[in-house]
Amino acid sequence: MTGMNLKVNVDLRRIGVVALRVIRQLKRDRRTIGLITFAPIVLMILFGYALSGDMSGVTLGLVDGGGHDVLKAHLGGIKDFNILYLGSESDAEKLVSQGRLNGAVVLEPDEVRVLLDATSIQISNTILAAAQSGAREEMAKLLENLPGQQSQGSKSGDMSGDMNLIVTRYLFGYDLEMMDTVGPAILGLVVFFFTFINASISFIRERSQGTLEKFMVSPLSRVEMVSGYVLGFSLFTLLQSTTTLLVVTYGFGVPMRGNPLTALVVVLLLGAGALVLGSFFSNFARSEFQVVQFIPLIITPQIVLCGVWWPLQSVPEFIRPISYILPLTYAGDALRAVMLKGAGVTDILYPDLFALGVFFLVFFLAATLMLRREVG
Amino acid sequence: MAYDKSALSLAVSARGVDKSFGRIKVLDDLTVDIPRGVTYCLLGPNGSGKTTFIRAIVGMLKLDGGDLRVLDQPVSEVQSIYSRIGYMTQHKALYPDLTLQENLEFFAGLYSIEKQEREPRITKLLDMVNLLEHRHRLAGDLSGGMYQRLSLACTLIHEPELLLLDEPTVGVDPRLRQTFWNYFDRLTAEGKTVLITTHLMDEAEKCKTVGYMRAGRMTAVGSPDEIKRLAGLKPHLELWLKEPEKDAARLKDAGYEIDEVDIAKGVVRIRLQSHDQIKGLLENVAPLDMRLKEPTLEEAFLRLSEAA
Repeated sequence: MTGMNLKVNVDLRRIGVVALRVIRQLKRDRRTIGLITFAPIVLMILFGYALSGDMSGVTLGLVDGGGHDVLKAHLGGIKDFNILYLGSESDAEKLVSQGRLNGAVVLEPDEVRVLLDATSIQISNTILAAAQSGAREEMAKLLENLPGQQSQGSKSGDMSGDMNLIVTRYLFGYDLEMMDTVGPAILGLVVFFFTFINASISFIRERSQGTLEKFMVSPLSRVEMVSGYVLGFSLFTLLQSTTTLLVVTYGFGVPMRGNPLTALVVVLLLGAGALVLGSFFSNFARSEFQVVQFIPLIITPQIVLCGVWWPLQSVPEFIRPISYILPLTYAGDALRAVMLKGAGVTDILYPDLFALGVFFLVFFLAATLMLRREVG
Repeated sequence: MAYDKSALSLAVSARGVDKSFGRIKVLDDLTVDIPRGVTYCLLGPNGSGKTTFIRAIVGMLKLDGGDLRVLDQPVSEVQSIYSRIGYMTQHKALYPDLTLQENLEFFAGLYSIEKQEREPRITKLLDMVNLLEHRHRLAGDLSGGMYQRLSLACTLIHEPELLLLDEPTVGVDPRLRQTFWNYFDRLTAEGKTVLITTHLMDEAEKCKTVGYMRAGRMTAVGSPDEIKRLAGLKPHLELWLKEPEKDAARLKDAGYEIDEVDIAKGVVRIRLQSHDQIKGLLENVAPLDMRLKEPTLEEAFLRLSEAA
């Protein structure tokens, strides 16, 4: 039937005509252009600062039963903690249960107990980590002062020098902050989000204002139409990703160790994928209002599962396959490799660019097939 | 499938075309021939299947049955002749965020019209729809009628052989509507075919051929005059008389068909068999005033649909 077989004739000039029109329309849309500059700034502040994991204002009770001077000094020296000195462990227990303390450390000569309120995991982990690092410090001090150990120092094989056996070597990112690691992903997210929304709304409009029906009765083929959109939106994506890249690198100091052009290749491929995905999903929405309702379904899983804010390793294994079909997972990975590790195109070819390419092709085909001529 | 040889000179030929949406039959055994080089009007109330028929012609509907040919092509292959068809939907099908010029450039581009050809055509069409001075305004800023006119211009940009216009003059003022019709006449003189849907009778009066659709069927086809004749409608004469009752009786005796006597207004309505009857009438009565009322197409269709 006529609706099912794809017209295969592809005229580059007609693709150009569609692309030019898309560009002309976007060019007039000042608000969107303003938004794409502004959005990355907001997202950087949101995800970079707010989710950086740094805490302040943690109230910690301290029951001093003697000893542990080093640990005590360590805890006192942490400026994020407000220390409240208490007389007994039961007082501490009561205050923690009442929620007036986030936790307490009970120091006794032969034992250190940490009382935690684990309803906020992040806070209790922070307290625990502080107590542990204080304890390590104390241990190290203790070993230093032991007679007879001086000559051997921190030589390996030394039983009591356990703590010093762990040597951390940062291969990448020893100087990075949360901000830097999320920067590349924000670049991907901003491009994906805006292209998806803009593309689906554009296609909804083509449908509702009747231009789609007019296309269907013109020599323009469906492949040409979607290709024209991809081409037109790519220029927009390029503008958007360049702005975002500038904001992220110059505004927030995220490093750009690789070639910015390589990053743009990744972003363009991601944007093309978002466009065809938007075009595909526009078929399931009847209005622009409904497109917005896709956000929780399409955008949120990408943020949660792409492995930037919560690592893939922390995603339960039965959900992980979803992570591996989401384009933002690959784009985020590729962009971090390029920006933070200085990777080149060949380094990210597989699986990242490959996966993004496959994603684009699959939804290009799906979007084209969904643009049906016949109804009923 | 064998086709009627005469169908080869037709712009559109439908034979027993059926189409249902769910349980509702929208096109019901529709048979119609639309010759080339005419303005053909599809007239009918809302929901009679006019738009559905147009969409069937452009291949946007999967037909349940029957045979439909467009410019000598079976409708299944209509996409190969899209460059010869101009289709204006009831949606205006324009980009409000583009200027008039840009809208026209875009549609010209879809039909691969060369640049040197494009500009004169755009100017000519904008002039025809009386929008030349608004050329660089955004289409979204136009009034409803202007938008409609631009939509028509965009449909004409590739000079199609078969023009399918779904309610093209909605919101267009009468003077400009006349301009449109004059333009359609020019197109048909060049051998082009214009198929128009409307629910406005006065518009249908201007068409060479009118097809009256009702419930997915063609109930009457012909020129407006033929349809009136077909419906058996005769002209009426209204006479203002001093003594309506007496005069009416006298006229009846003289063989006139009295339709109505309004004593309060002093009016007698006579149904005329022919216009010749008017002469003899004055020998019987001396009216203060008289008015001849020709049957309207609307009355004809009302009569026809009552009969059906």
